[in-house]
Amino acid sequence: MNIKALIKSLFLRKFSTGLLLLQLALTLGLIINSTILALDTKAKLEKDTGMPLDEMLVVVSSSTSGAFKELSYAASIAEEDLAKIEQIPGVIAAATSVQLPIQTGGWNGNVNDVDDQDAVLRDRYLKFVAKFHSNEKLAQIFDLDLAEGRYLTEADRTPLFSEEEMNIVITESLKNALYPSESAIGKLTNAGRIVGVVKDFVINPGLADDKQYAVFTNMPVTLAEFVQHYIIRVEPSQLNQVKAQIRDVILGVQPERDIFGLFSMREHMDSFYANDQGLVSLFIGLCILMVVITAISSYAYAQFHITQQTKLIGIRRALGATKKDIVMYVLTENWLVYALGCLIGIGATIGFNVMLSQYIELSKPDFVLAAMGVGILFVASTLATWLPAKKTSNIPPVIATKTV
Amino acid sequence: MLVMNNISRIYCGESIQTHALRDFSLTVEQGEFVAVTGPSGSGKSTFLNVAGLLDTFDQGSYELDGVGVDGMNDNQISRLRNEKIGFIFQNYNLIPDYSIFDNVDMPLRYRGLSAKERKQRVENALEKVGLAARMDYLPSQLSGGQQQRVAIARALAGEPKILLADEPTGNLDSLMARQVMELLHKLNQEGTTIIMVTHDPDQAREVSRNVQIIDGQITDSKIYAPVAEMPTQEVANV
Amino acid sequence: MFSYYLKLSFINFKRSPSLYALVLLTLSVGIGLVCANFALISVMSGDPIPEKSDRLIHVSMNTWATETPHEEPLHILRYRDAMHIEKADMVKSTVTFFASGIYVRDSESESLARINASVRATTAGFFDLTNAPFAYGTGFTENTGKVLVIGDELNQQLFGGGNNVGKVLELAGELFTIVGILEPWHLRPLFYHATENMAFNNTDDIFAPLETAIDLNWAVHARSSASDSVRTLDESRDKNYFYLQSWVELHKASDRKFLQQYLDNYSQSLKDAGEHPLDIRNELHDVNEWLLKQEVVDERVLAFSIATGLFLVVCIFNASSLLLSRFHAAKFEVGLRRAVGASKSQILTQGLIESSLLGVVASVVAIGLSGLFLIFSTEMLPNLANLAVLNGETLIAGVILSIVTANLASLYSIYRANRYTISAELK
Repeated sequence: MNIKALIKSLFLRKFSTGLLLLQLALTLGLIINSTILALDTKAKLEKDTGMPLDEMLVVVSSSTSGAFKELSYAASIAEEDLAKIEQIPGVIAAATSVQLPIQTGGWNGNVNDVDDQDAVLRDRYLKFVAKFHSNEKLAQIFDLDLAEGRYLTEADRTPLFSEEEMNIVITESLKNALYPSESAIGKLTNAGRIVGVVKDFVINPGLADDKQYAVFTNMPVTLAEFVQHYIIRVEPSQLNQVKAQIRDVILGVQPERDIFGLFSMREHMDSFYANDQGLVSLFIGLCILMVVITAISSYAYAQFHITQQTKLIGIRRALGATKKDIVMYVLTENWLVYALGCLIGIGATIGFNVMLSQYIELSKPDFVLAAMGVGILFVASTLATWLPAKKTSNIPPVIATKTV
Repeated sequence: MLVMNNISRIYCGESIQTHALRDFSLTVEQGEFVAVTGPSGSGKSTFLNVAGLLDTFDQGSYELDGVGVDGMNDNQISRLRNEKIGFIFQNYNLIPDYSIFDNVDMPLRYRGLSAKERKQRVENALEKVGLAARMDYLPSQLSGGQQQRVAIARALAGEPKILLADEPTGNLDSLMARQVMELLHKLNQEGTTIIMVTHDPDQAREVSRNVQIIDGQITDSKIYAPVAEMPTQEVANV
Repeated sequence: MFSYYLKLSFINFKRSPSLYALVLLTLSVGIGLVCANFALISVMSGDPIPEKSDRLIHVSMNTWATETPHEEPLHILRYRDAMHIEKADMVKSTVTFFASGIYVRDSESESLARINASVRATTAGFFDLTNAPFAYGTGFTENTGKVLVIGDELNQQLFGGGNNVGKVLELAGELFTIVGILEPWHLRPLFYHATENMAFNNTDDIFAPLETAIDLNWAVHARSSASDSVRTLDESRDKNYFYLQSWVELHKASDRKFLQQYLDNYSQSLKDAGEHPLDIRNELHDVNEWLLKQEVVDERVLAFSIATGLFLVVCIFNASSLLLSRFHAAKFEVGLRRAVGASKSQILTQGLIESSLLGVVASVVAIGLSGLFLIFSTEMLPNLANLAVLNGETLIAGVILSIVTANLASLYSIYRANRYTISAELK
């Protein structure tokens, strides 16, 4: 196989070869970066949140009638809801909550030790500490592990808007921010007195692992003007059964509710990343199109031999080349262009990665991914060139002697 | 009406210069029928290309029908080619998926004539070559000889001053070749100037003037007395 | 001559229909994707109220009552700050509002089923300031009272459409009378509430007087922050509870400095009274500045547009290499035409008309495809669902892009056709 001659013949078709090279390079760049995006997003979704996402059911509802403006009425209905929900077979525990982990916005406030009002000036994240106003079952529902002290109990129950000092539990990262070198148990903050510290879990995926600040209270909040969340822990694989019954149970207690959200925490996390996943789908779709288009170009490029070089191929055959030789000739030419294209494609990948990184978060390309992209392109371009290669090998040697 | 003076056409290769035409001078008067002969590679084709304004020349001057082509831009040259010259090629060069009518019509499209005028001229040209009845046929439905006659009609449609023919009978058998040559002679008698490149010495002898080109230069120029009568043969209309 | 060239183009298309179809498809897909993206971006970055976008000013202030600084002045205001803005007299009009939501039903309906409606609790100046289009009735004129204006969609949902001014609605136990009904009103983006990811929401279903909403303790459905403890809205008027947004309409854009002066004076007076611990930073933004600051244009779409742009380049290359094979086939005929007297510029014109014709056909297919891609994109990026609109700009851009790219793809072929010597192909 005369590689030098092959390269020379590529140079004769500078324009076509150049076009194909650029297409291959750009396609490679897109394939690799799309894969990076897909893997990044997959990692986000599969991150261990510390919660049993498939065993947590969420109900989001609003009251529709004015009767719920009466605080004690609303609270009693909520209590009845929870009692009835816990009677459903498969339910382990249920609680109200003013917000869910892994959401935008939410119910936040600033937290500092009562003797350290300026803490927030040192650490601005202390301004937006997530408040989980709920009941004593929340730790069980979220499957939280204790690091220090105890979780809240029924005895810690505080009525809404009470002015009394109440007991609270905080996350470990909040403890490290407020009391880095001492125990937090017994300390008094502007949010309440700390009786326990739980290990961190994912509350805000956009923040660093050590900034997952949260406060837990036993002060259920049921206000007509705010949307109501019920979070329910179920036995493994019982989620769908419970989900099927929830609506009837709640409306059976009091029908003037609009239940507009009923989903597992897993679905909640998926929808948090819905736009990111959507972008991945768009990119992958584009990749497929791009590979198809580049395959068409490879095909057209190889077709050249049939349409333009019939005589030359015939001469080769007349001089002793077998059909297999011709097929290898066409394929090798394609592989040469493809290899050059991949080389340029590495540069295209890096450039493309830099451009995209200006707008979205994207990991840098690595060797394994590059190899995979190169592989996909190799298979696609070989397949595309196969048919023209075969057809070229069918050119009969007798053509060499034709003069018309 | 065609005056070439000291024309040189040089092709520059990687390291060699080829003088395809070298200090070439030729004058052709209106109404002449000139046969151009010479061995392969002598410059016959180059001469035809330069004469037909298909190719430029590097030295000398060229006057066609009183108009010097020096310093003309592509538009002007194309105009000249369109109006004054009619080409006939060895392999007819008809467009295979156009009808006979459309093939003959093609050069007229570049003249800005009305549809009516074009139709008139096409019909006239086809009449002259005896193929008016086949206007709607495709070239593949005609014999080689008929195709060449269509090509001649195409060359005539624009009423050119001069016909340039490059081995017009090269692809035809002797019967059809005869017919085509008869047609050319007839046209010449009606006043059309013709320059024909040919390999056939018999053909060469039948025309009024011979020019031989060797190595890019004219070597011989014989003038024959016009033949009084062409030997005709009864041929089937193939 | 033009019609002749068109005829020749069609003949060429018929000769290699599958090749031209492939070129057409390649270009259309690339252009369609770019157009779909372009549509999204142009709608996202569009000016929703061009007739006065430079005179409508959003106010952000730094009147937060404790020492803990925010990085930026808050875009939400206290009641007392907002009321001071409402009193400004050197401006054409003002509006103060907050976003809420409520369950509503026709008070005369037998069914107790309630519809979830988005609410804008606002001062009366809202309607003129935003040029809200009325189908029936008018806006309310006071900031109090049990009256409201509803949007077209709610009108359809409650009554099936029609002039329902005067009807009474029940909102969480309270009765309100409809005084105005709007026409279908699409603001893209929703400039008056571009924060909290609400920039692509629909316009509100219900517009109710601000003071009434406060007195009835309606929920605040957007960002709120407080440095005092606040239980209910009706007791928050004199507390440090930040939840309102204010816009001002100037007489002319250059009046901005007067508004700035007015606000800075106010802040200074607070500072002098020891009530303004942070720096004075009153920031004014007109509509386009505000939208820019809120980064309303979704970064993901921008990222994707880089990819679709490169894809279009690949499509052009592909079309170009396909057309090159046509060039080889066309050499004979071009040579012949040149031989019979066509000039280079005539051949060039023929080529350009053919590629432009291809471009025009491609634009039709591309626009059709872009509609499909647009729907698909907004399925994938659900927060953009309201933006799937093929606006006029996109259609024009699509046609121009198609013709340009088709010509670009043919450029090399045309260039080559022009260069070579005629005689070669005719031997």
